[in-house]
Amino acid sequence: MSTRKTIKSFAAIGGICTAVALVATGCGAGGPSSTGSAASSTVNVLVEAGGHAELSGVAEQCKKDAGVTVNFVELPYDGMFNRLSSEFSSGNVSFDVAALDSVWLPSFKDAVQPIDELFTDEAKKDIFPALVKEASVDGHFIGMPAWTNAEIILYRKDLFEDAKNKADFKAKYGYELAAPTTWKQYQDISAFFTKDGMYGTDVKGAVETEWLAHVLQAGSPMVLDADGKVVVDNAAHKEALDFYVSLGKSAPSGAAQVDWAAAQNLFNQGKTAMTRFWAHAYRQIPKDSPVAGKVGAAAMIGGSAGVAGVPGPWYLSVPKATKNTEAAKKFVKCAYDHNSMGIESNLGLAARISAFEKYQDKPGYESFKPLIETLNGKATATRPATAKWQQIVDTVLVPTLQKAVAGGDTAALLADAKKQIEDLLK
Amino acid sequence: MSIAERTRPDAGKAAAVTTAPFVPPAPAARRRRGVNREGLEAGKRSTRTLLWILLAAAMVLYGFPFLYLLFTSFKTPIDTIAVPPTILPKEWTLENYANALGRSGVLASFINSAQTAVISTVLSLVLAVPAAYGITRYKTPSGRVFIMAALVTRMVPPVAIGIPLATMMSSVGLADTPIALSIAHTTISLPLSIWLMSSFFEAVPRDLEEAATVDGCSRLGALWRVVIPVVSGGIAVTAIFAFLASWNEFLFALLMTAIRSQTTPVVIANFQTQFGLDWGSMTALAAVYSIPVILLTLLLQRKIVAGMTLGAVKG
Repeated sequence: MSTRKTIKSFAAIGGICTAVALVATGCGAGGPSSTGSAASSTVNVLVEAGGHAELSGVAEQCKKDAGVTVNFVELPYDGMFNRLSSEFSSGNVSFDVAALDSVWLPSFKDAVQPIDELFTDEAKKDIFPALVKEASVDGHFIGMPAWTNAEIILYRKDLFEDAKNKADFKAKYGYELAAPTTWKQYQDISAFFTKDGMYGTDVKGAVETEWLAHVLQAGSPMVLDADGKVVVDNAAHKEALDFYVSLGKSAPSGAAQVDWAAAQNLFNQGKTAMTRFWAHAYRQIPKDSPVAGKVGAAAMIGGSAGVAGVPGPWYLSVPKATKNTEAAKKFVKCAYDHNSMGIESNLGLAARISAFEKYQDKPGYESFKPLIETLNGKATATRPATAKWQQIVDTVLVPTLQKAVAGGDTAALLADAKKQIEDLLK
Repeated sequence: MSIAERTRPDAGKAAAVTTAPFVPPAPAARRRRGVNREGLEAGKRSTRTLLWILLAAAMVLYGFPFLYLLFTSFKTPIDTIAVPPTILPKEWTLENYANALGRSGVLASFINSAQTAVISTVLSLVLAVPAAYGITRYKTPSGRVFIMAALVTRMVPPVAIGIPLATMMSSVGLADTPIALSIAHTTISLPLSIWLMSSFFEAVPRDLEEAATVDGCSRLGALWRVVIPVVSGGIAVTAIFAFLASWNEFLFALLMTAIRSQTTPVVIANFQTQFGLDWGSMTALAAVYSIPVILLTLLLQRKIVAGMTLGAVKG
């Protein structure tokens, strides 16, 4: 009897839940419809979770200024490319604006609309040159930069200003201990601080950007030249890789597995004296970190070709398949007009030069001057515009780097990498 | 007959054959037997201890990641990224819970997860119970082909069917709805549900149904009144598996949901961004999200155990 009662209870509960769920399913619990069936003043914006905060303030302002209401579809970075591919290929998109990582622009160039009218001469002057170049694909601007980043040098100000350290360093190397401006200085300082369980710097074997920045500093285009020829085995790539690997003796072991998160943790824990890291990290040091308030920022160091970094911008693009083009473009314009609002967010970044400049002298934004300097660097360049870039990174560049930092023959590794990349691009 | 004689198992027979008195074992032999019994018991004790140690080790192995997650959810931000990591928080805080639960969309995602999981579980059971019953009772060649074919969807990588499913749902106007996601989740849970229910139905003696039929029940009546109550434990097990499959599913939710139906696993994943990983908030939300499943499992524990052992008493 009790069993029958249980069955009946299950059936009743299940039935009620299903009925409620089926009734409710028309709208779900998240908000309004995500499939723009007709033109309206509401736009759905697809954004990576970390970038959501960057656009929240803009969305509020856009509602006031242009009467455009914004719903955000927030997705994790790792799943966003699949989602975009799936929706673009189906021709039926659930969003009216997408925030695209710069490396995805070449992949989705045919699925998004030109927004040339937003790139006025004034706008082009206020956006970093490398970003203006990257936003243009096949002669049309297809994405408006929403925020950008670049690697700069973060260092332990307290250690650099310590009188004993200063004296010891000068005695050993013959010059003053200060934020490094040459890679030789960076090597010396790294070696100097590698003692008593502490390391001078980190070596990130699981990410390729720093090595590629060294390549730019050495005067070569990264991986592919202007004609799309694979140059990953040229002298500049080898020199950059050899230098990168050489820092290993002043870095924690296991470099092959060190990625952004690991390097950031090491620095925030006070285990490394310097790190080359994305500028946003300066403002994200936890308040309870032993290094909070003790960190200085400096521009990325230059090589024979000058200062260079690899920018990490995100662009706002309007899909061709949206039925809400007008409101979508209004939002993109709002995002440009109020670009500096992103600086007040957790991430604290922008894309316009004037936005960074507005904050660069304010306390807490000491990383902005080095960031501007790096982004304006003579040799700073964006990643090659190929739809295969992510695949090249994941399957060739990172494994090559990991083998190199683990002691592999760099010349042989680069020769092998060239072959693999050529095969991928065939 | 002496007491010694009466205590012998073959006392009567022996008395008829011989009158020789029963000689009790010598003290030394008794001691040996005692030693053997003690040795046997000691052996059993050590085997039991070994088994307990192995069980405890297995429990730690399985339980540690969850415990680590739980402890991390109470750590301060700097503690969560400590190098080397610590197991217990140096300082206990609820800050991560406040951050995670205060994030916009979290409550809605819980409701969406519950809606989706309930619909998917009900759909799975409604389809799996009659399918499994038919397959086990009629034993036709087509039934055998069907049950094998049901597994095919489990053999295909989910991402391969996720994108076409998302496109299909969109083309029939179900994009970004819990019902679309529930249907997608049912493709995951249905094969397992059919197989599970088949094994449970196999364990029910046909005599039971025949007796019900003799008493005037139709075939469906016998199924509803006799067989289903007998396999209720099995249904509970199947329901739990179907519910869990939907509750924790990530990939389809990532591909098919946006504003209206985003489920909590996607929200949890959103704590890992290109610019950093908010370990504390992520683990806090994951801990909260696991509570309903733990409660459900505890609530249905007896049914689950009964269901697990159902196949063991095949009549």
